[in-house]
Amino acid sequence: MYHCCAACIFNLKKSTHTPFGAMTPGMSIFSPMMPYGSGLTPQPVQNTNSLAILEEQQRQQQQQQAQQANAGLPGTSGQTPQLYHSQAVAGSTTTALPGNTPLYGTPLTPMTPVTPATPASESSGIVPQLQNIVSTVNLGCKLDLKTIALRARNAEYNPKRFAAVIMRIREPRTTALIFSSGKMVCTGAKSEEQSRLAARKYARVVQKLGFPAKFLDFKIQNMVGSCDVKFPIRLEGLVLTHQQFSSYEPELFPGLIYRMIKPRIVLLIFVSGKVVLTGAKVRAEIYEAFENIYPILKGFRKTT
Amino acid sequence: MYEPDNRVNSEIEKLTQIYYREAYQHESFIRVSLRKKEHLVGCCLLLSCRLLNWPISMATISSLLDADPMVMGMLYIEMVKILNIEAPIVNITDVMEAHSHDYQISSLHAPEELSESHKDLTKRAVELVELSADTWIVTGRRPIPIMMAAIYLSWQSLKPNKHRLKLSLEKFCQLAKVNKHKPAIKRITEMKEMLCKLGQEIPWVREAVTPDNVVKHVEDILKHRHALLRRALRAQEDALLAERQASCEDLPIKEDADNHQLHGETLKSQDPEPNWGKRVLFAPPCVVQAKKSRVEQPELTDVTGDEEISDSEIDAYIRTPQEVREFALSQKMLE
Repeated sequence: MYHCCAACIFNLKKSTHTPFGAMTPGMSIFSPMMPYGSGLTPQPVQNTNSLAILEEQQRQQQQQQAQQANAGLPGTSGQTPQLYHSQAVAGSTTTALPGNTPLYGTPLTPMTPVTPATPASESSGIVPQLQNIVSTVNLGCKLDLKTIALRARNAEYNPKRFAAVIMRIREPRTTALIFSSGKMVCTGAKSEEQSRLAARKYARVVQKLGFPAKFLDFKIQNMVGSCDVKFPIRLEGLVLTHQQFSSYEPELFPGLIYRMIKPRIVLLIFVSGKVVLTGAKVRAEIYEAFENIYPILKGFRKTT
Repeated sequence: MYEPDNRVNSEIEKLTQIYYREAYQHESFIRVSLRKKEHLVGCCLLLSCRLLNWPISMATISSLLDADPMVMGMLYIEMVKILNIEAPIVNITDVMEAHSHDYQISSLHAPEELSESHKDLTKRAVELVELSADTWIVTGRRPIPIMMAAIYLSWQSLKPNKHRLKLSLEKFCQLAKVNKHKPAIKRITEMKEMLCKLGQEIPWVREAVTPDNVVKHVEDILKHRHALLRRALRAQEDALLAERQASCEDLPIKEDADNHQLHGETLKSQDPEPNWGKRVLFAPPCVVQAKKSRVEQPELTDVTGDEEISDSEIDAYIRTPQEVREFALSQKMLE
């Protein structure tokens, strides 16, 4: 059951507002009573940024064909919007400016061939693109790293620095860490299938070098995706309203670190609207995480 | 632990001690080095200050402990996660007052024509930072260079005479006895650009507002910023509308031109999708000046992972016996 505020939870003042809609004046959206639904799946919140308020008022004025006031200039009096008041603006914050809506004319990132479980493109219309897959496999035998480094062209081995051979292949363009235990990590592929193909190629190289390498327990350990929502995001607002999930320390890192619980994905959200999603074991988690975060980000969207 | 006017209150001290005791005894921290434990004190102090609304930056605490802010920062994040505490972030405008006190620019420290009262300086700098925050200059950026830029521009604009306008940031920092932060120069440029966009909308200003002359208009811009923002937004919208109408009219002509050119497609049509940051009035600078994205490698498509792997491909990665001998020899020689 989702409630938009403490009043709603206690069944008070039901008539004064609609859940997640316009809020009663005076109730700050920064109130600590602002609930987050189940606490697992993030809930969108309305924005109170000053430019958004200005833009919304401007649009409303244009729509009503009100006289454009040159309010606030010397000699005239007029309504000056309160920039830092916490009163939310009713309605959605869709933009009036052309070209800023991701629904119009934004070329979608091309989808790699996937299983039928493709993301719901009717919601955000943006598909995160996979950037990196990390997988592991057990070659099932002990390896002599010195021999591998000696006989393979594409290997580097500095035992003083790191206790594994670093091997690279051109297609799929990936890197492998090969350990003397026979375990191997494969990184850099852009899809699960590419990661598997690459791991098989490394195993073949090791086989050709004279080791009885097998291909056991191949597993995707981590998937990283990224996308661009194409509008700027108020990270300060987001960390305020989603404090239990967010960490934003501009002194240390320019992005906001959002730890989603369901699915268990970490998102790096940047002011530019670019989002990095990591921690997935299957690509559906990346898509699901993005579809969860997108309405929240839209709530912090500012178009100027 | 502080200079008298920076002293935290006893409530914060007590809370810091409580958190420190808890963190110190935690298994993640009980065996760390003494130096790290000192950093931990700073982290606990930062946490307590944030929870009790005492505005202080991580950089300040790091400098007091003579610690690397990044090291302290990472420890702080780890500690907050382990202790499972949600601490609010510090608002840059709250820290501004404490930060501006670092600048020895009052009449006691600086010559009359260059001195400024802290009260006036802080007030103007706060307004400037708020406006910068609204126009995407603050989000994602380190706060100290922003505050430095705001204080410098505020100081110049409070008495925009020849002396002040000529003084570079470097000289200003020397005068105020603070360490210059290099990113502040970029922030100054960004703030001036933003101020120019608003300054252009001032009805009684006839000359073009440029970064060179915008400082003297800062007072007016800040005073009427709401109205100027409105006008600037409207002007931008009108400009975009006009551009759209113009491009609609051009389209049939353009199509004809394309028909005549078989191979000569204009660069424009081959350009990557236009930068949305350039089509709005204000956008985060990282969007407006987007770095060229890496050229994507030709993607493998329709890979199943079960493809046949040719021997020749694998052999390409294996040294010939002669190469092995040469490599072994070179390794021996290097040893």
